[in-house]
Amino acid sequence: MPNPAIVIVGAGAMGQGLAEAIATQGSELYLLDQSTDKAELGKQRIAESIDREIRRWGLTKSDKKAILARIHPTAEYEVLKEADTVFESIPENLDAKRRMLAEVEPYCRPDALIVSTTGTLSITRIARYTLRPERLVGMHFLNPVSQIPLAEVVRGRETSDSAFKRAVAFARSLDKQWIEVNEYPGYVTTRIIVPMINEAMHVLMEGVASAEDIDKAMKLGFGFHVGPLALADMMGLDVVNHWMNNLLAELADHKYNPAPILRRKVLAGELGVKTGRGFFDYDERGNRQLVTIQDTDLEREVVA
Amino acid sequence: MRILVLNCGSSSVKYQFINTDTGSALAKGTVQRIAMAGASITHKPTGKDTVVIESELLDHTAAIDLVVKTLSHSDHGVISSMDEIDAVGHRIAHGGETFTDSALVTPSMMTVLHDCIELAPLHMPAMIRGIKACQRVLSDQPHVSVFDTSFHHTLPAQAYVYPLPYIFYDEYRIRRYGFHGTSHKYVAQRAALLTGKPFDQSRIITCHLGNGASITAIKDGQSIDTSMGFTPLEGLMMGTRSGDVDPAIILYIMDKEELSRREGNSLMNKHSGLAGVSGISADMRDVVEAMESGNERAKLAFDIYCYRLTKYIGSYAAALGGLDILVFTAGVGENSPQARTRVCSTLGFLGVELDESLNQKTRAVEAEISSAAATVPTCVIPTNEELVIAQETERVVNSEQPQTAVR
Repeated sequence: MPNPAIVIVGAGAMGQGLAEAIATQGSELYLLDQSTDKAELGKQRIAESIDREIRRWGLTKSDKKAILARIHPTAEYEVLKEADTVFESIPENLDAKRRMLAEVEPYCRPDALIVSTTGTLSITRIARYTLRPERLVGMHFLNPVSQIPLAEVVRGRETSDSAFKRAVAFARSLDKQWIEVNEYPGYVTTRIIVPMINEAMHVLMEGVASAEDIDKAMKLGFGFHVGPLALADMMGLDVVNHWMNNLLAELADHKYNPAPILRRKVLAGELGVKTGRGFFDYDERGNRQLVTIQDTDLEREVVA
Repeated sequence: MRILVLNCGSSSVKYQFINTDTGSALAKGTVQRIAMAGASITHKPTGKDTVVIESELLDHTAAIDLVVKTLSHSDHGVISSMDEIDAVGHRIAHGGETFTDSALVTPSMMTVLHDCIELAPLHMPAMIRGIKACQRVLSDQPHVSVFDTSFHHTLPAQAYVYPLPYIFYDEYRIRRYGFHGTSHKYVAQRAALLTGKPFDQSRIITCHLGNGASITAIKDGQSIDTSMGFTPLEGLMMGTRSGDVDPAIILYIMDKEELSRREGNSLMNKHSGLAGVSGISADMRDVVEAMESGNERAKLAFDIYCYRLTKYIGSYAAALGGLDILVFTAGVGENSPQARTRVCSTLGFLGVELDESLNQKTRAVEAEISSAAATVPTCVIPTNEELVIAQETERVVNSEQPQTAVR
């Protein structure tokens, strides 16, 4: 019996989302991390994510059993030997990725496709850490991966056409629409959404409208599923700030300057959903608290 | 001709190996839990003992490989090598408007089947996977698709066009397709034989009540209306599917709970029906058991299920201008005398009346269950889609050249 041909290295948020999406689509996979505990924890988080989806009527209990049965947590690099597709989804740190690839690559088949899910680092640079840079390709998914039907398939400088095509075929097999992206900071999604979020913060800061009303206007006016400020809270304000700084550094245009209110909130540790407070307040389960008028007024005073 | 008939689900493969010369199965079985822990094949060679073999099965290819190996096994097999399989018949849920008849599998057919996924999202992906897997394992044999939709290609426009802007029919082929066609056709023919009425000159209503349930009005041998529509979601209440509901409700719930399109779809297809109302099970046996031990919601689920079916029978009798035979088939239809009793209890005006003792003892066997006073016979006919698929497969293989383009 053949072993799962897909290995995801890194059982963090992106690895979990990807594993859930792949297993939901019906394929088996290994979820590989430094320890079995970490890998198992990743699988446990996937189970929790599926439970949320069951409460939203999207999946059933029998779906859950079937999906989880396809995910095999492991800490054994040996599983890489038979893989035809290896996903790299470890934290966004170039040095960590370099070390990981050095450890992982010797186990990989020469014809294995290596996919980096990085959203912030250069595919070309990551590819240089491998023996075969032409088989490394980027696939950028948005969280929650199993819900969002988009994959940005990213060509690095040396990505081969065949590697690119295999990544596209994989995106299709996950029922994702895909777009082709030539490597450049922020690709398409991040490059456009982050400055828009930043602009919403300026509008708030300048007292043009309340946070609630800004989000309301963008949701109703343009059919956004989530308003820009609520989206910033979900992404994490530190992440948004990091992104603005990154775009500023890479593209050297002052329009990527993080809004002062963003810098200030990050300094104060108000990072959005994960800390319970960002532009809105959240309970421990991440549910939005109703904003009172006073909060909104206070917000205006603070930023005035 | 010896034909392997396959019905592929997402984690299961049902198969029968049928000799069409005798009309009998040489072996039948089920592979379960594909790509899950504890996968197994239950194989019943006719006239020999049933064997259960556990085996790790990663995907449908492994499952079908196991089916073929089991069929040609030295102990419990029924053939000496896979060459003795003459052809493969696949049960396929949806043929769109392209396939009004069974047809040979070709690359262009596969393209059309992919287009049909969104028309039957619960079934088509596994069936397509099944064809591909089976072509890998049995690459020398002809493969034939037999569609659940093709018996209903005789529906008149008044039955298949929805009262929506007509442009959607032109633009997206939105229309009633109907499903379970193979089953409706088979049980209607058997019931006509059993009651001694001419199939092509009778008004027959067939109730296929399985996990998915549908009802068909057959006039002079042709399907003139059926309850499943554009997708298998419309019509009767089912195990986990709602059947007919006011379409505004789903929009309202999706808005209230901020559900995505996918979640809304799953709500109606997987969380509704008997399971959704009873909160107990999608299986009628469990629901009846709970009802009999006093569970109110189980009773409500049972009541809704039967009431809606009775209404459909009444409306189809009106569409047919009368009724000559009423037929029950599939899981609930064959095995639930309680449901049959309830459904028929108000159909006396049509001439339908059951013989309760016959009804009670009839389970999964061909029988007429109506009383002596009934003017319209009511029959239980165990469905045998596999035999029809085998016969269709033989017909197509004998009549078509492999190169014939299907479109």
